Amino acid sequence: MTSKIPIILDGDPGHDDAIAWMLAKASDKLEILACTSVSGNQSIEKTSINARRVMTLLGIDAPFAMGREEPLHGEPIHAGNIHGETGLDGPALPQPAIETEPLSAVELMAKTISDSIESVTIVATGPLTNVGALLILHPELKPKIAQISIMGGGLAFGNWTPAAEFNILVDPEAADIVFKSGVPLTMAGLDVTLKALVFPEDFERIRALGNPIAVVVAEWLDFFYNFHRSIGYAGAPVHDAVAVAALIKPEILTVKDYYVQVEISGDFCRGATVADHYGFSHQPPNTHALLDIDREAFIDLLAEAAAWYGKELE
Amino acid sequence: MSPIPVILDCDPGVDDAIAFLLAKQLPQLNVLAITSVAGNVGLEHTNYNALGLLEFLDWDVPVYRGAAGPVFRKRVEAAEVHGSNGMAGFDLPHARSEVEGVSAWDAIHQFAVQQQGALEIIAIGPLTNLALAFLKYPDLPQLIKRIVIMGGSTDAGNATPAAEFNIYADPEAADIVFCSGVPVHMCGLDMTMKALMTPAELDQVAALGSKQAVFFRDVVQDIVGFMRRLGIIGINMHDPAAVLYAADDSIFKAYPAGIRVETKGNITQGKTVTDLFSDAKWQKNGFVAMDIDREAFVKWVFELMSKY
Repeated sequence: MTSKIPIILDGDPGHDDAIAWMLAKASDKLEILACTSVSGNQSIEKTSINARRVMTLLGIDAPFAMGREEPLHGEPIHAGNIHGETGLDGPALPQPAIETEPLSAVELMAKTISDSIESVTIVATGPLTNVGALLILHPELKPKIAQISIMGGGLAFGNWTPAAEFNILVDPEAADIVFKSGVPLTMAGLDVTLKALVFPEDFERIRALGNPIAVVVAEWLDFFYNFHRSIGYAGAPVHDAVAVAALIKPEILTVKDYYVQVEISGDFCRGATVADHYGFSHQPPNTHALLDIDREAFIDLLAEAAAWYGKELE
Repeated sequence: MSPIPVILDCDPGVDDAIAFLLAKQLPQLNVLAITSVAGNVGLEHTNYNALGLLEFLDWDVPVYRGAAGPVFRKRVEAAEVHGSNGMAGFDLPHARSEVEGVSAWDAIHQFAVQQQGALEIIAIGPLTNLALAFLKYPDLPQLIKRIVIMGGSTDAGNATPAAEFNIYADPEAADIVFCSGVPVHMCGLDMTMKALMTPAELDQVAALGSKQAVFFRDVVQDIVGFMRRLGIIGINMHDPAAVLYAADDSIFKAYPAGIRVETKGNITQGKTVTDLFSDAKWQKNGFVAMDIDREAFVKWVFELMSKY
């Protein structure tokens, strides 16, 4: 048996977080050591219960801890317009059978990394509040973090504001800590995630798999796409799943290394991720930025993962 | 169709010089005046170079002296690109003077009134003069039909990772212009980085044989060397591309957009922020040129330079 990459899933489920976690659980390349919630797509209460429901649905048997309501600095921002009132509207989900650990998300991350023999990869698909706090509270653990695979940012543009992508905008100070940390970073920003669109015919392919998880995934996609169609998208941008795909199948992604900084101030640019295209800063690259994806191969990956649950349940 | 009455607001500047060479030969443009501004180098050089270029081209256009620095902040310049005199060390012939007693911003207003709403501005330096004109003359937005600028970028900058030089040099002025109510056509790095002329194409221009054609190639050689060190073979014709866009935009692709300038960020001051790609949308205040047919551009440059 080849050794699996030990990972911590840190997210704000959220439809695309849930699909990312679905992909992670189904992969024989990843071993989920812990899950943590962060305030983002919805309030911390809502993303936490969603996280526990999703873990229960998918059969992720790992400790779970809850993040904090506020970003490291500033007021919370939520995306109820996209993910609905619960933060994961759409299909009915099981009552959570996963307990919440009596410690914070940051401390669970720290404990998990300390206890692991191997270096741990963090998959951060929400605002970087927990990860940023971990890096300033436990700098001694940096050498044991293999990498942080982030869904966030955009080298050229944003979505929530013209300059800023949602996850970075919600907690730019935390993101700034992460990008300055020296820990290897893989960034699935809008540059790549807007090319990872899941089209309605792909929903049907997944739905037709017929197992209960595949059906739920298809219904998440239905809900998620409904909003995005209304603002002109041709498919559902399952942003967060790209951060997991980058670990499972890096060969389907185009990557380029950049020195990336986070703007924490400004009238229009707070939360912007700024890449140094021409080397003006004379800094070595700190980010493996994902720029393109083989969309068909990505859809195959999602469908194969959804199909895995059918076999698992037999 | 009668030519478009324009004012060329500029900071010569090597690529401004190329813009002059082309503008004189464009039948679509009627250049009523040149206004100088500090930018690539200080105003003492840019104003002097503007006068010298007109003398060199035997082109009779009045020059109005503009702002010696940005509206609110300290001046930055790009002498490492354009040479300490802004003209790569070339000293142009000097027999002319600017118009005495009329500033660039007053001239812009006077011509705008005279043209009764038909005037267009081609601004290929920092936007200080235009901003001062808008600040001084509240009726000006109704009198200017369109502003074509060389400046900005939707993603990467060339003065900093986030900001293009002309906007970075006076971000507040640029934002005043974008918010003026006059449609601004932004010929930024997205398009101008594709307006590349190769060393071989520069040689072909020079082979036309006129003194202007030889100057075209020779004045840009230092920049060709500068670009080679950045890994780019040839020269990006930033300002000339904006002038050609103003004459005829049919070889360009531009999209309506909401555009603002970041004036306060820690690392993004001078960044032009556009809503082209985001879910969040702003009120449209201009157009962003994103692409150019490079082959057609080079052919057009060649045709214009053949007229000398």
